[in-house]
Amino acid sequence: MSTSLEEMHELPLHIRVGRARAGVIMLILADLMSILALLAAGGYLSTLNVLNQYRLTSDHPPALLPGLLASIVLVLSGLSYYWWERRGGQSVVFILSLLLMIVALAFQIWLGVSLGYAAPFHAYESVIILLSWYSAFHLALASFIGLLLLGRILRGRLAGHPYIPEVVGYWWYYTIIAGLIMWAFSMFLI
Amino acid sequence: MTEVKRTSLFQKLVPSVVSGIVLGVIGAIVAYVIVSHIVDPTVNPDAPIVALYTAWTLFFFVGIGAFNGVFKWGFAPHDPTADEELQLAGKDQGLWRYFRFTTDHKVVGMQYLATVLVTFFLGSMGAFMIRLQQSTPGAKFFTPSTYNTIVGMHGILMIVSSIIMISGPFGNFILPIMIGARDMAFPRLNALSYWLIFSIVPIFFSTLFLGGFPTGWTGYAPLSVQELTPGMDAYCFTIIIFAISTTIAALNIVTTVFVLRAPGMTWGRLPVFVWGVILSVFLGLTAFPSFLMSQVMVVLDRVFQTSFFIASFGGSNWLYEHLFWFMGHPEVYVIALPAMAAAAEIATVFSRKTIFGRRMLIGSLITICILSVLVWGHHLYTSGSATALDGPYMLDTELISIPTGFFFLALIGTFWRGKMWVTVPILFVAGTLVNFVIGGITGIYLADLPTDEILHGGMFVTAHFHFTLVGSMVFGFFAAFYYWFPKMTGKRLDPLLGKIHFWLFEIGFLGTFLALFYAGLQGEPRWSANIAPPFATANLIASLFAILIAASVFVTVYNVIITMVRGEPAVANEWGGKTLEWTVPTPVPLENFEHLPVVTSTPYDYGTPEPAPTDKDGDLIAPVLPQSES
Repeated sequence: MSTSLEEMHELPLHIRVGRARAGVIMLILADLMSILALLAAGGYLSTLNVLNQYRLTSDHPPALLPGLLASIVLVLSGLSYYWWERRGGQSVVFILSLLLMIVALAFQIWLGVSLGYAAPFHAYESVIILLSWYSAFHLALASFIGLLLLGRILRGRLAGHPYIPEVVGYWWYYTIIAGLIMWAFSMFLI
Repeated sequence: MTEVKRTSLFQKLVPSVVSGIVLGVIGAIVAYVIVSHIVDPTVNPDAPIVALYTAWTLFFFVGIGAFNGVFKWGFAPHDPTADEELQLAGKDQGLWRYFRFTTDHKVVGMQYLATVLVTFFLGSMGAFMIRLQQSTPGAKFFTPSTYNTIVGMHGILMIVSSIIMISGPFGNFILPIMIGARDMAFPRLNALSYWLIFSIVPIFFSTLFLGGFPTGWTGYAPLSVQELTPGMDAYCFTIIIFAISTTIAALNIVTTVFVLRAPGMTWGRLPVFVWGVILSVFLGLTAFPSFLMSQVMVVLDRVFQTSFFIASFGGSNWLYEHLFWFMGHPEVYVIALPAMAAAAEIATVFSRKTIFGRRMLIGSLITICILSVLVWGHHLYTSGSATALDGPYMLDTELISIPTGFFFLALIGTFWRGKMWVTVPILFVAGTLVNFVIGGITGIYLADLPTDEILHGGMFVTAHFHFTLVGSMVFGFFAAFYYWFPKMTGKRLDPLLGKIHFWLFEIGFLGTFLALFYAGLQGEPRWSANIAPPFATANLIASLFAILIAASVFVTVYNVIITMVRGEPAVANEWGGKTLEWTVPTPVPLENFEHLPVVTSTPYDYGTPEPAPTDKDGDLIAPVLPQSES
C-alpha cells in the first residue's frame, strides 16, 4: 500500500511555524548548555587555581580592540536584523546585517590569532583560546545561515514562509548574545 | 499510474553510502597526507589522525548527499517538489533505500535497529572476552594493555548502544505513528542523526589499529591526555560525533511530539512510551553538551598542547570528572526512562488492563528526569574534591528511589488481577522488574557515602550497574524488540526461540552478576587484567554463567535471521494493542495514515467492557457480567 506524500508536505502554516520555532529553540538550548559547560570550566579552574598555575603573571587577556570592535559590530548586526525582520525593512537591510556578522567574524578571527600565547598553554590561556575560537565558530555558523537566507531572499522564496526570518532571528540574536557573554567572560571575569 | 523511471548504476550509487564511503576515504587520506607534511607525526602523532577523522566525517556526508538539502534550502530556485520528497523518502527503492540518505522515519528506525543489534553483538563479544580473561588467574589470554582496550571498547560500545537502543529504533519507527503523525518534524535531520552514528563506526574501531585506549569507557583525564597512542583520539571523536547525533535526534523527537500530534492527542492522552522517550531525549539534550565539550578539551590538550586537565599547568582532573558525570549519571536515566515506559506500555497490553496509576507513573518519570540532573557529584565522593556538597548529593540520589518505586508500583498494580498473556515480551518485562529491584537496592549502598567509601572501585559497582543497565534496561529493550518487531518488519519472531532467549539470558545474567557482587564484597577491584586467587572461584562461576548469556545471544541472532528469511507474516495488530501503531496496516505504508486519526480517549481502555451485543431491536442478546479487574 502506498499513498501520495503531498498531504504530508502541505502541513498547515501554524504547524510549520511551531515546528520551526521549537526546532530552533531546542538547538539554542543544547548550544547554551555547551557554552555554560565552557564558562563553568573556566570559572572552576580559576577558582581551583591548581598549584597556583592557573594564570601566570605574564598571562594577559585578549587584546581589547578586536574584541570591542567585534562586539560593537555584532550589536549593530542584531539591530539591523531586528529592523529588517520586525519593521519590514528592505532586503538591503538584511544584507547589511549579514555583512556586519561577517565583519564581526573577521574581528573575532583577528582576536584569536593575536592572542600571542606560546605552547604549551597554561589553563587560563587554554580557556581563552577555546572561548575565542568557539565564538568564531558561532559567528561563522550564523554567517553561513545568513548566506542561505540571502539565497532565499534573492530567489524570492520567502513568500509563503513568513516565519523563516523570525526563527532565523532567534539564532541570530542568540549568537550575538552568546558572543557578547563569551567576550565579557574572557575579558573581565576570569 | 506512476511512471517508472530507469536509473543508471551511477545514479543509484550517487548519492548513497557507497559514494559516501568512497569520498570519505579519499578525503581522509588526502587530509592525513597534508597534515603529516605540515606537522611532524613523530612529534605530534595525534594531529594527522584528528585531521583524518575530521575529513572522513565531512566528506562522508558530502558523498552521501547530506548537504544537498541544506544548499537547496538556500540556493535552489524552488522548494522541493512532491516527487523529489518521494524520492528522498525512499519510495519504490526497495532495500536500497536503507543505504541512502533516506528521510522516511520507518527506514531510519530500521537502520537504527540493525545498527543497535550489530553493536550489541560486538559489545557482547567484548564481554565474553572479559569473562574469558577473568575465568582464571594469570592473565592467560590477553596482555593487560589489550585487556584494558577490550574493557574500554566493550563499555563505550554498550553505553552508546544502550542510549540509542530504544529512542533510535522505536522512537523513530513507532513514536510518530503512536502520536498520529505522518513523519518526524525534520525528516532530513532524522536521516542525519542516523548516518552520524554510522560514520563513527569506522572511527571507533580504528582504535584497534592505533594502540587502543587504556582509560575505559569514562575516558578519564589526565590519563587520556597523557597516553601517547593515537587510539584515544578515536574515543574522543566517537563521543563528539555521537553527542551531535543524539542532540539532533533529541530536538527532532521533542519537536515532533510538540507539533505533530494528531487532532485530539492531548498531553493527557499521550501514550506512556511517548512520555518516556521525550523525557529521555530532552534529558540527553541538556546533559550531553557537557560531555561533548569535555572531549573537545581532551582533543585540544592532546593536539594543541592546551592544559585543561594537566595539573602542572593549572588544569584539573576534577574538571573532567564534573563535565563527564554531569552527563554520565543523567545518561543512566536517558537509557532507563524509555525502557521503563516501554515496559509499562507492554504490561498493559499483556495484562489486558489499563496502566495502574498512569498519571502517577508519568509524574514519576518527570521527577526522575529532574532529580537525575543534580546527582552527578556522588561519582566524586572518593575523588578527593571538596566534600561540602556530598550530603545534598547523597540525599538527592536517594530521593530518586521514591519515583522509581512508583514505577514498580504502577507495573505490579497493572499486573494485579490482569488477564495475563504470558509470552515473550511480558517475560522480558518481568525480567526487567526482577533485575531492576536488585540493581536499584544495591545502588543505595553506592549512593551512601560511608558504604561507597568501601565499595567504590570494586566489582560490586560493576555488578550494580550491569544489573541496572543490562538487567533492567536491555531487558526492557528486548521486551520492546519482541513487541514491535512484527509491526516493524511484518514478520513474526519464533516465540519458542524467544522464550529460550529469555531464560538463558535471565539465568545466565543472574548467575554471572550475583557472583560478581560476591567478588566485590570480598574486595575484588575493577580494572584488573589478572585476578587474584581469593576471587578466582566467584569469577569462574561468573564466567561459566556467562556462557549461557553467550548462548542466548546466538539464539537471538538465529531467531532474527530465520525469521527474516522464512518467518511467518505478522498481522496488523499482532498483540491486540490499542495504541495507534496497531491501527495501521503491516507493513506500514509510506506516510502511515491515509487520513489522520482523531483521538478521543487514552489508549488503555482494556478494562472498559465491550458494547454488549444486541439484536436488531436493540435488546441485549446476553447479559454482561461485571469485570472485576476493571
